[in-house]
Amino acid sequence: MIREFNFKFDELVIDYKKIESILGYTSGQLPPPFNYYLEEALTEAKCLADIRGCYRVMDDPVILEKENKILINDEVFEVGKTLCKEMRGSERLAFFICTAGSVISQKSETLLHGDDPVLGYVYDVLGSSIVEAAGDRLQSILEQKVESKQEKITNRYSPGYCQWPVWDQHKLFSLFQGSTSGVSLTASALMTPVKSISGVIGIGKGVRYREYTCTLCSGKACIYRKIRDGMQIPLV
Amino acid sequence: MKHELLQKLSEYVEFGKINQSSPYPPQMKGELGADELTRQLLDAGVEAQEILTSGLMPGMERIGLKFRANQVFVPQVLMSAKAMNAAMIHLKPYFASGAAKQKGTFIIGTVMGDLHDIGKNLVAMMVEGNGYKVIDLGTDVNSEKFITAVRENPDAVVGLSALLTTTMVNMEKITKEIKEAVPGTLVAIGGAPVNEDFCKKIGADAYSSDPQGVVEFLNSKVA
Repeated sequence: MIREFNFKFDELVIDYKKIESILGYTSGQLPPPFNYYLEEALTEAKCLADIRGCYRVMDDPVILEKENKILINDEVFEVGKTLCKEMRGSERLAFFICTAGSVISQKSETLLHGDDPVLGYVYDVLGSSIVEAAGDRLQSILEQKVESKQEKITNRYSPGYCQWPVWDQHKLFSLFQGSTSGVSLTASALMTPVKSISGVIGIGKGVRYREYTCTLCSGKACIYRKIRDGMQIPLV
Repeated sequence: MKHELLQKLSEYVEFGKINQSSPYPPQMKGELGADELTRQLLDAGVEAQEILTSGLMPGMERIGLKFRANQVFVPQVLMSAKAMNAAMIHLKPYFASGAAKQKGTFIIGTVMGDLHDIGKNLVAMMVEGNGYKVIDLGTDVNSEKFITAVRENPDAVVGLSALLTTTMVNMEKITKEIKEAVPGTLVAIGGAPVNEDFCKKIGADAYSSDPQGVVEFLNSKVA
């Protein structure tokens, strides 16, 4: 069964500290014009009506750790070694799709490639935060649901990361039979709206939740790694 | 006086002071910006080429070095690029007429299967700010589009960007096909998951971990 949700901006827990960090400043220290830009973007974000998400729980996954694959029904997901390990013990898998919607995605893209790339970047960062917050909300809903069965969930993992190829998104989306919360895929497996995420969460009595840490990823120049390492020295 | 003004212009670019009404950066509030100062310099008879090479480019170079050293983040670089663009509006007619010349052409795109473009955009801005014509092909770009652009712009250098480990593999195919179609084309690669070893493995000509590195590569090969 596919479960679908519409989220209001106000019910999401947005990580403002992280937004400010990505913009290069410590919490509460955003100077003009970034503080105005963020305020403008937040005002608009509060009116967003297309933040959506959905998940589908699939029973009896076969996790082939030696082959770095997961089998669901007749579909083979080439998830890679790391993910196979993270999904170990899963009795069921929840595949999900979330989006911050087309409004903020388009606004960000238009500004980034047009009149005001700085404001566009602020929208881009906020859009990413919104879709991740929607993912958190979805994950929390799922967690509450499985707790009644004394089950636990893993963290969520997405194609494109941890060696899971993005083109597996075609298989993932096919599980939703068209009910994809308004998110579509290009031929090269890119999601539209841009500010969307998809992925998988393991469910079972024996699974464990691990924070998504930099040790899982090979990206050495990633901004999140730089922030983690305390490299952000803000002011010019 | 001219040198002082060019130095000031470079600071406006470095610190992202766009124009007089811009409140950023706070320490330059109320001052002119790159927009007005470029106009003043042109009106005073300073050549567009000199404004580019002695005013704008040093500012972009300094912000590029700061970005490399993690002293500034993306928004500050974007502010610099915005200041640079405000100045370039005044200079573009001189480039169009041939009175001022750019160093060469750089074709850039995020490889097919990948839509991340902030890093690519930063490189494009930095390269343009250092005196090159930039042709930005966007995201999810296949070999055919790169090859068409190279054929239309002989001697251009190509830049490939990817953010994902799962899409960086497309760089190999694209690099190979570009070099087969237009032998001698230089290809630079960049993005979070790639490195020098990967660059060598796929037959690309340069890897850079930051935008300034691309500028340095271009300067060593083209300028």
